[in-house]
Amino acid sequence: MKRLLTLSALCLVLAAPAARAADDPKDLTAQLDALDKRITRLEDSNAVEKLQKSYGYFVDKAQWTELSKLFAKDATLEIGGRGVFLGQDHVLDYMHGAFGTDGIKEGQIINHMQFQPIVDIDPDGVHAKQRMRAFVMSNGGWGLPMYENEYVKENGVWKIKLLHGPFTMYTSWDGWAKSATPNTRPESFGEPPDLPPTVVYLTYPSYYIVPFHYPNPVTGKPWRPGTQQAGAYASPSQVSLENPGPRKP
Amino acid sequence: MMRKLAILAAALALATPAAAQDAAAVKARVEALRARVELLKDHDKIENLQAAYGFYFDKSLWSEVADLFADDGSFEYGQMGVYVGKAHIKRGLTLISKEGPEFGKLNNHMQLQSIIDVAPDGKTAKARFRGMMQLSRANEGGQWGDGVYENDYVKQNGVWKIARLHFYVDGVTDYDLGWTKSAIPLAGQSAAIPPDKPPTEVYRGYPGAYIPPYHYPHPVTGQPLNIPQPADSVLGRK
Repeated sequence: MKRLLTLSALCLVLAAPAARAADDPKDLTAQLDALDKRITRLEDSNAVEKLQKSYGYFVDKAQWTELSKLFAKDATLEIGGRGVFLGQDHVLDYMHGAFGTDGIKEGQIINHMQFQPIVDIDPDGVHAKQRMRAFVMSNGGWGLPMYENEYVKENGVWKIKLLHGPFTMYTSWDGWAKSATPNTRPESFGEPPDLPPTVVYLTYPSYYIVPFHYPNPVTGKPWRPGTQQAGAYASPSQVSLENPGPRKP
Repeated sequence: MMRKLAILAAALALATPAAAQDAAAVKARVEALRARVELLKDHDKIENLQAAYGFYFDKSLWSEVADLFADDGSFEYGQMGVYVGKAHIKRGLTLISKEGPEFGKLNNHMQLQSIIDVAPDGKTAKARFRGMMQLSRANEGGQWGDGVYENDYVKQNGVWKIARLHFYVDGVTDYDLGWTKSAIPLAGQSAAIPPDKPPTEVYRGYPGAYIPPYHYPHPVTGQPLNIPQPADSVLGRK
């Protein structure tokens, strides 16, 4: 009996690894959980892209109330050099202050085209970052904000958590060879921010490199800005296309 | 010892139905995951289909463009009216330019900023695209144009096709003058190659203001985007 028992125990032990590999429900469940996570990340990536693209489509048609609802309640907004606005309500105040009431008007064109997304979902699955270019085609001319935004998933729904859009270049319809708005003109904006700008910089013909949220996709190494990047010129008053001012080393 | 063996046997006997139950649950989960992967693949295929449309359109390859449509597919561009079926779509396209590339012609219709929603059953889909245009005809100078696509797609025998394409041309302007000085009106319905149906929505290009309806609900609130159209002094819309 004792031998029989030992034998049967041995059989069970031998059988166990084979069963685990093929169809042990516990092991399969773990594999399916891992697969589910990977599929969810792909779905999340699409959702975060869609969120920022619909932001662009709302700007096109001056749908400021709908746009503000893309933000989490405690979200922040910082555009150009106008400082930081805190909370969904102040996002709406900012938009109404900058553009007027809801709804596109006759003769108005403010297309906010959203291109070139780079989305990264955090391992926790509820936070994300996205770099995305905006290409502005408006009555005023051309514009290039560069977004580096953060997103949060609340109750299964992705929302904008932090919107930061420093300007690369703004020009009139004459084109950037002839005209440019060299700074972000914070004084041109009535609505006071809750916090000062997180970064002070100049736009084209100067330059500012908005930090990349991701490392180099090939080397895996992050790009780090040098000290010269946070505003390439000494004084905004010196800057024009004809007189770009002293270049810092 | 016997008692222990009996317990072991009983445990094994009990384990079997539970294992069968687990197997059914695992199978159901695999099916659900497979369906989600299919929807992700469909999403990409529609993005590629619309990109292919744009690349053919750039060079006025009208046969290739028409072949992207389902047999009963429809095509609507600005205020030109609705063309139904591949043959008629191909004829209607010759109103935009003659077939094939030409010296001095630029017909770029970029397909950008996609918002794609595949139906849960994976058989149909809807998408919004941004249609930025760079245009020129020999000796006519360059133009910038802009618009929004709101399209329907259908999967037939495993292949995605365009079921209904609607390009809401927003406006076209002279390259040198720009939006503040130039607004080129949209073409109307042709008498030579009339459409099958008049435009589904009557609107005016820039400087008129019009909001192409959104096929998707608000991404955060989930509420439908029933946004009233802005006033238009020419069309008399208040």
